[in-house]
Amino acid sequence: MESSLWVLVPAGQRASGEWIDDTLRARAEEKGLLARSPRAAEFPRQRVELIRDADPVAAVNRLYRERGWTDGLPIVPPTIGRVDEMVAEGSLERHAVLGEVEPLGGVATVEKVAANAVLAGCEPAHFPVVLAAVQALLDPAFNLRGVQTTDENVAPLLVVNGPLAARLGINAGWGALGPGWPANAAIGRAAHLVMHNLGGGWPGAVSFAGLGQPGRYTLCLAERDDSPWPPLHVEQGYRVDQSTVTLLRAETVINVTGGLDELASVMGSAASLFGILHGGKPTVILSPFTARRLAGEGWTRERVRRELFARGRLPADTWRRSWIHATVRASDWPDWAIAAVASGAIPAVGEPDDITLVVAGAELPIPQHAYCPSWGHPPCRITREIVSR
Amino acid sequence: MLRASAVAERAGVPTASLVCEGFRGQAATTATGLGLPGLPTALVPGHVDVQSAEELRRNVASVTVDAVIRNLTEAPARVGAAVVEPKPADIVFEGDLDEVNRFFYENDWGDGLPIVPPTPDRVAEFLRFSDRPGETALGVLLPDRRRATIWNVAVNGVMAGCRPEYMPILVALVEAMADPRYGVEHSGNTPGAETLIILNGPLIKELGFNYEQGALRDGVQANTSIGRFWRLYLRNVAGFLHHRTDKGTFGNTWRVVLAENEDALRRIGWTTIAADEGVLADNAVTIARYTGGGVIASVFGNTPDRMLPYLADSLVTKVGWELLFTVGMGAGSQRPLLILSPILAETLARGGLDKQQLKERLFELVRIPAAKLERYVGEWTNLVPGRPTLTELVKSGQIPALFAESDDPERLVPIVCRAEDLMIAVSGDPLRTNAYAFAHNGILGFPTTKPVRLPAEWPRLLREARAR
Repeated sequence: MESSLWVLVPAGQRASGEWIDDTLRARAEEKGLLARSPRAAEFPRQRVELIRDADPVAAVNRLYRERGWTDGLPIVPPTIGRVDEMVAEGSLERHAVLGEVEPLGGVATVEKVAANAVLAGCEPAHFPVVLAAVQALLDPAFNLRGVQTTDENVAPLLVVNGPLAARLGINAGWGALGPGWPANAAIGRAAHLVMHNLGGGWPGAVSFAGLGQPGRYTLCLAERDDSPWPPLHVEQGYRVDQSTVTLLRAETVINVTGGLDELASVMGSAASLFGILHGGKPTVILSPFTARRLAGEGWTRERVRRELFARGRLPADTWRRSWIHATVRASDWPDWAIAAVASGAIPAVGEPDDITLVVAGAELPIPQHAYCPSWGHPPCRITREIVSR
Repeated sequence: MLRASAVAERAGVPTASLVCEGFRGQAATTATGLGLPGLPTALVPGHVDVQSAEELRRNVASVTVDAVIRNLTEAPARVGAAVVEPKPADIVFEGDLDEVNRFFYENDWGDGLPIVPPTPDRVAEFLRFSDRPGETALGVLLPDRRRATIWNVAVNGVMAGCRPEYMPILVALVEAMADPRYGVEHSGNTPGAETLIILNGPLIKELGFNYEQGALRDGVQANTSIGRFWRLYLRNVAGFLHHRTDKGTFGNTWRVVLAENEDALRRIGWTTIAADEGVLADNAVTIARYTGGGVIASVFGNTPDRMLPYLADSLVTKVGWELLFTVGMGAGSQRPLLILSPILAETLARGGLDKQQLKERLFELVRIPAAKLERYVGEWTNLVPGRPTLTELVKSGQIPALFAESDDPERLVPIVCRAEDLMIAVSGDPLRTNAYAFAHNGILGFPTTKPVRLPAEWPRLLREARAR
């Protein structure tokens, strides 16, 4: 027996009325990528459509996949009812415009973002976080056009702070960057689907990341609220009872087991070359075990950053022999990097404060940290308050 | 203001259009409608009206100036791909009545009430009432820059619940909407004025319009469905949508068609609204946008001398900032409308007044102190740049001399520039001594009258339609 689903079109429409899918189809055809999305741009140019099928959920999944509207994983159909519930949890009105999503410029209305949040599997309660994340993505300082179109593999990294993180179950502990955590999975995925469907970051057609990274499905975690130090958002000037999302650019997530020496060793490697070139702001995720030990010895966050800045240095010879060094013009390197060459080694960042320090992960005596080198200009660390209804 | 920028850009002159924060979406859409989606704009944070000079200076210096420089020094983005829309006869949906209604509503094609599905059969029936083919263009409508055609008039007429024989009126209405004199592009402005349609001619009776008791109330198919058609057409063809291109702060529901009581007019020898506007066709529609209006109840008296002060006072009390259209933007374009019930019109006529004489008598009475008029347009609002005095405006030739007959701030000046600017219609309960006054939106919806052209086979077509 046939049944039906009323679903919203999650694709990007420009302020001028054009749908970005027409451009995407043309790009996909040029690149021989239509096998991925054989029905690209084949959809009714409307807000909603009615899907009739014996299994309409499967039909929506098949249709959206063939139109190129998914990240390859199954999606939740963005029914009118689900989108309404999502919108109702946000603090902004349905038609409010957050901005145009680069590079193809689909208009991010609250409703379009909500439709993509439904696709991603978000619960309505997640929506305020998604809205704040999208507002951050649209901040010119994030350079979304660059992130979407570069041949580098950079992905947005979302760090949630404040009381909302625990309330929504955004994991900061065991396996926080791994699978199994619905809020981490869905919120990060929603941000990526907004980039994909409203910005048009289709891999190979518009987005030219050479290899990509699994973080492009989702890359979202909370900072532990039992960290011995003031949390990240308080450092950014927010109150401890406010909830925020901080948006960073992560080239990848490199596991570092050990202590500050091991972290410094990885930071002082070729992994930091792009960050040095662009004066980026990399992220260090510090294990709670190490944070507690250091705090017990009187260390502050600032001192950790200063230590990593002092010890995590790339030998000038390594830099001189690097592929990037041979590729870019000498004048492209920032002055501080050139000045550091004279001293024999280049720090991973221009100044200690450029390191974003996040305390997360399990309370393990074999401490696991992560170094997330950055990419792209301008250096950014964008924090937005999560405004709940 | 974007329209001025578009003209300048087309002439090769770089522009920067300052856009307050809440208007960015509208600016982008409007720019597209003007055919220049890349039209450069410079953001002004917040809204200037509620900022101190210091706040405004800070906002402009920190945000706006950079954008203005970029606007003027960088080449605007090029126009993107064309917008793809369904072709006129495409079947966009198949389903039962409930599904069709949900589908249309959810896609922003409805006004919240159920629509009649515009099936090919129903549209064809409407098209029979036009001698021109469906693809005939009636104009191009801003902001969406969509073509008005006989076909899409029929489609929206079906949706609105019109009968096919209303089609000639619908076409005339869209011709009026597309007339530059009317200014449909202003329909989304913030005061949110609403159009009133006035119908004249034998069609009033042939098609069963109400022109007596409850003339401005819904409940009669011809008056009601055509009023609804107007709004649906603004939505679906011109492209005025809530929260997007429509910035009406409050707005109000569409108005039902006002049909004049032409029997009463004939009895007292008064001209119709259409004739006053210079259109002598058998049937004609007149459209104008009104910011609001209200009833003038229980007009007492049996002579013009006793009745006119009250009527004139009501016209005065209905206007405020709209006086801008008398002495500021589009000076002389304020056209207030007074609707008299037949018994009031007949009493005034019995007192010796024809319509022109009535206008002249009212013109002497619709007066306010000059200082108050200046306050409306120069102090309480900021709608006239430079806040010139009435005397200065007279000196520069923008308004008639009678606005500066002395320097006394308490001298009385009229709310319109000429007696003819007052419009007077006759309709409503024939035996009740009530009237109605509308304040007008000036050049942003100027009175525009169009003849209604009937198909050659009108008598036969009408007979057949009635027999169905």
